[in-house]
Amino acid sequence: MLEFAFNATIEPGNGLIAEVITSDFPWLSLSIFFPIVGAFLVPFIPDQGEGKQVRWFALGVSLITFLITVGAYKSGYEPTVNGLQLSEKISWLPDLGLNWSVGADGLSMPLILLTSFITSLAVLAAWPVTFKPKLFFFLMLAMDGGQIAVFAVQDMLLFFLAWELELIPVYLLLAIWGGKKRQYAATKFIIYTAGSSLFILLAALGMGFFGGGTPSFEYTVLAEKGFGSNFQLLCYIGLLIAFGVKLPVVPLHTWLPDAHGEATAPVHMLLAGILLKMGGYALLRFNAQLLPDAHAQFAPLLIILGVVNIIYAALTSFAQRNLKRKIAYSSISHMGFVLIGIGSFSALGTSGAMLQMISHGLIGASLFFLVGATYDRTHTLQLEEMGGVGQKMRIMFALWTACSLASLALPGMSGFVSELMVFAGLVTDETYTLTFRIVIAALAAIGVILTPIYLLSMLREIFFGKENTELVSNTNLVDAEPREIYIIGCLLVPIIGIGLYPRLVTDSYTASIEALVKRDLLAIEQLQKPASPLIRTKNLLPAFINAPRL
Amino acid sequence: MPSAAEFAWLIPVLPLIGAVAIGLGLITFNQAINDLRKPVAITLLSCVGASAILSYAVLAEQINGGPVVEHLFIWASAGNFNLPMGYVIDPLGAVMLSLVTTVALLVMIYSHGYMAHDKGYVRFFTYLALFSSSMLGLIVSPNLLEVYVFWELVGMCSYLLVGFWYDRDGAAHAAQKAFVVNRVGDFGLLLGILGLFWATKSFDFQGIADGLENAIALGAVPHWAALALCLLVFMGPMAKSAQFPLHVWLPDAMEGPTPISALIHAATMVAAGVFLVARLDPLYSQFPSVGLAIATIGTITCFLGASIALTQMDLKKGLAYSTVSQLGYMMLAMGCGAPVAGMFHLVTHAFFKAMLFLGSGSVIHAMEEVVGHEPILAQDMRLMGGLRKKMPLTSSTFLIGCIAISGIPPLAGFWSKDEILGQAFNSFPFLWAIGFLTAGMTAFYMFRLYFLTFEGDFRGDNKALQTELLSLSGQTIEEEETEEEGSNQSEHSGVIHESPWPMTLPLAVLAVPSILIGFLGMPWSNKFGTLLDANEALDMASNFQLGEFLLLAGASVLISSIGISIAFLAYYRKQINLTKLFVQRFSNVNAFLQNKWYLDDINHRIFVRGSRKLAKEVLEVDAKVVDGVVNLTGLLTLGSGEGLKYLETGRAQFYALIVFGGVIALVLLFGVLGG
Repeated sequence: MLEFAFNATIEPGNGLIAEVITSDFPWLSLSIFFPIVGAFLVPFIPDQGEGKQVRWFALGVSLITFLITVGAYKSGYEPTVNGLQLSEKISWLPDLGLNWSVGADGLSMPLILLTSFITSLAVLAAWPVTFKPKLFFFLMLAMDGGQIAVFAVQDMLLFFLAWELELIPVYLLLAIWGGKKRQYAATKFIIYTAGSSLFILLAALGMGFFGGGTPSFEYTVLAEKGFGSNFQLLCYIGLLIAFGVKLPVVPLHTWLPDAHGEATAPVHMLLAGILLKMGGYALLRFNAQLLPDAHAQFAPLLIILGVVNIIYAALTSFAQRNLKRKIAYSSISHMGFVLIGIGSFSALGTSGAMLQMISHGLIGASLFFLVGATYDRTHTLQLEEMGGVGQKMRIMFALWTACSLASLALPGMSGFVSELMVFAGLVTDETYTLTFRIVIAALAAIGVILTPIYLLSMLREIFFGKENTELVSNTNLVDAEPREIYIIGCLLVPIIGIGLYPRLVTDSYTASIEALVKRDLLAIEQLQKPASPLIRTKNLLPAFINAPRL
Repeated sequence: MPSAAEFAWLIPVLPLIGAVAIGLGLITFNQAINDLRKPVAITLLSCVGASAILSYAVLAEQINGGPVVEHLFIWASAGNFNLPMGYVIDPLGAVMLSLVTTVALLVMIYSHGYMAHDKGYVRFFTYLALFSSSMLGLIVSPNLLEVYVFWELVGMCSYLLVGFWYDRDGAAHAAQKAFVVNRVGDFGLLLGILGLFWATKSFDFQGIADGLENAIALGAVPHWAALALCLLVFMGPMAKSAQFPLHVWLPDAMEGPTPISALIHAATMVAAGVFLVARLDPLYSQFPSVGLAIATIGTITCFLGASIALTQMDLKKGLAYSTVSQLGYMMLAMGCGAPVAGMFHLVTHAFFKAMLFLGSGSVIHAMEEVVGHEPILAQDMRLMGGLRKKMPLTSSTFLIGCIAISGIPPLAGFWSKDEILGQAFNSFPFLWAIGFLTAGMTAFYMFRLYFLTFEGDFRGDNKALQTELLSLSGQTIEEEETEEEGSNQSEHSGVIHESPWPMTLPLAVLAVPSILIGFLGMPWSNKFGTLLDANEALDMASNFQLGEFLLLAGASVLISSIGISIAFLAYYRKQINLTKLFVQRFSNVNAFLQNKWYLDDINHRIFVRGSRKLAKEVLEVDAKVVDGVVNLTGLLTLGSGEGLKYLETGRAQFYALIVFGGVIALVLLFGVLGG
């Protein structure tokens, strides 16, 4: 059935993949297993059942995990090097070519740090959880390890396992601690993500066994393989669906408002801060890096989908009256920039996509945390039931304003830099025709107008105006407590830090991104050869992509 | 001795440090910091004061022929793309730095009096310092991208300050409108910047201009595209400097505290658009048709603002429309290819308009003693009158401002406005005619404001009129509100009196440049022009013809005097009844003006309601169609609806386990087979 896959058309090993640097100390394995082991110790922590002891334990574990990842970055990671670092490889099932293989390059390292950082804050955000606290913190810690594993593993089958493994804690966290419609939301989440992840498995098996050589799922091996272009297209479509659900890409996004609408604040922070980034990371890692020929064909589609994401989700967010769902849709809108960046064949644009993931991880987490903190006080998420809250909760108002401004890409904050990089990368990307670039840039820039409309309207409806007398008489609107200010402060420091000096972060991954883009550009040049008639996208291509400059 | 320009980066940084320190204090120790009013005010005043001193030193250096200083560092890089940031000091920047720090300093002193009773006093000062920092950063920006960064930041400060009294619905809406309308302009600005970067690989002002010229010469960029990019970039200044049709946010922004209206919405931020066009002069001067477009928009704005100002009854709104009109004059000058003239009007206008706004604040402050803290009452001129005797300092400075803006020699406005009209006369005679007519209207509406506010009898204690005004605005005096007023009576003296010294001192200080600064820009010896552009000034001086100057200036003075006389007869001597003469005869025109050319209504109907409706429809589609279709396919892949029901009963985790277990099984299977 997949015979065409055996006809490798691209010469393997074009020298763009750098050498692998092995680590002396198992930093990454430690950062994966430490929180998981910690999770299994949770049941043995003496606790009266209110979570007062176990939460300290969980915080300690997540903080140490964060320190381990920082240690890995500081001692074993050289930002200027393109290629795999901190690599560890232990043979697991040699006949299958399956190894326990972890490592970090520019695509992984920033997201690993983001994961451990956001998780430790999420544990702190989970302070008020009193219902089944042991199970809750067990799941949080398990997720920490699972998510780091998703970014750190360097083997596609392991990736699939980690990807699946992390679904279970999310499902339970949604189904047990969620809102009124939690069962529905959790079920929808699991059906969408687990269902679509079957494509990952299929693609992994296909890519591992076909394409010549001994079977292996190692990324570095897969990258050297040079699959046939039709096989690539097939894998690409499957993976795009799988990761498109996660990112999410409109129209595969409808699980997200439900899941986000029901999740509690700490889970929410993880969902928005890390889970969505798994989709973007995987698109970069597999679709753009391992399937360059197919990427050359599909990149225009990614960009178009990105624009649809931006505008469509901004409009739905504007009309949404439920605060949580509003922010959930705004997340979808922001992920559109990631798609555009991945689709652009410029180091600048792709770099912007990477930065947008990090930036949204921070901003999304902060906004969702604030939603939770506000709900704790108002006991409602409906905007029409709020109003004038700012008079009682002034610090909360200030924190909300700061995070909303960050979200609407105010200069001086990270979102501005990443969106600007995506825009500038797209506009200067000579791979696409001028018309295409103009249309896309103009449409994406409409998002620049829509975002403040829905975010500022939201602020106005919650905080401005006369006090809602009913709300004030029924609930106790206390201002932000130190723990909450601390969490938002922790998130705002990197947001503003990146906004003031983006190279703090971008320098850690530019080498990898540049290599990735170079390889994709090479694929574009090869694309002009007579193509298979199997996939029709190719016929559409001349409309978007200029002939290569030789 | 090191040059002051080397330390110029401190000018925006100092107020920023102050603002950040106090802002952090407000977040962490809210109560304690809020009680430290005086120390906070003194700290921030000294920050801005130090910036001001540094700015004067920089200006002095530039006047003495100091070199242009530029310092850059690489801010962001990817691939072969490098983005430098830094600061630049040149004569244009030095003038603006001194202007902004001076006005900011005076407004801060004024605010100490004006905001004395406000519980947000500390927050207000923090925002003021933050704004000063952003505005100063904008001025020293060496490239378009950095300008964009600070452009947005001043927009944010404007948002925060317009919405300062956030318990008022009007303020909430006005703040949002200001931000969103400015974002519409920024949409164009951003696309223009990106397009220019594509065309020239540069963000630098001179680099863009040279690059575009080359690109057109080489045929790499078609001429129409270059024009389109120039116009896109101009959308930014259109929004920020309140040019038609993006001016709609500025009058609403008067919901902010009056010191803000003076600083941000009259003297500095709204002038940023004009400043940016001046910065882009090397680019715009290549395209005469872009110049025509700018001049036309400027003239429309100029006329529109003045015509609406004719009928305004709200003192601040009247001044706001006057600002719109004067900004139109500045843009007209820019379009005529006379950035020096435009910048000169910017400087003179900043002084006398800041003074006028601060004066109106002083009046409102006094009126609140009588009518309470209700902007609809405190700002309505129908309730004022006769304030001259009670507020001599406020009224005399206000009068100076009125004379200055009307263009009566030798006050500042005469010289700058006349220079613009002279340039327009030579470039676009038709636009000159409209600008000329507008000069008469300006004189009329400004003196109308003056006579209604300061002359005649005081009408503030007319309770019936107060009720009528409130009901006109759709408000009724609620029970609790009257009660509150009753309790306020003890607090408020109920008598109009002159404002305290922190408020009158800035007025007096601002009166000096309002009278004298015009002498720096006399057409035969233009010191201001020599500083900014020595060639243009020399050119003007050598082409100067006394006859032509006298003719044009005489005509301007004449039409202004006519405007003043009508106002005098109608509102002071009450010898002309304008209601009978004009309003009843041309009721359509009057309604058109009173409804602000119906632009707000059109805006509301098309854009606000339209976007809301569209958003609602998209959400509907999302919930019903998209969700439905995808759910259905999910169902189909599961086999049947039964499966979903089963999963919904709470055992869905098994699904994941099955998938997970399946993988393990596969792995083991392969392992065993392989083994």
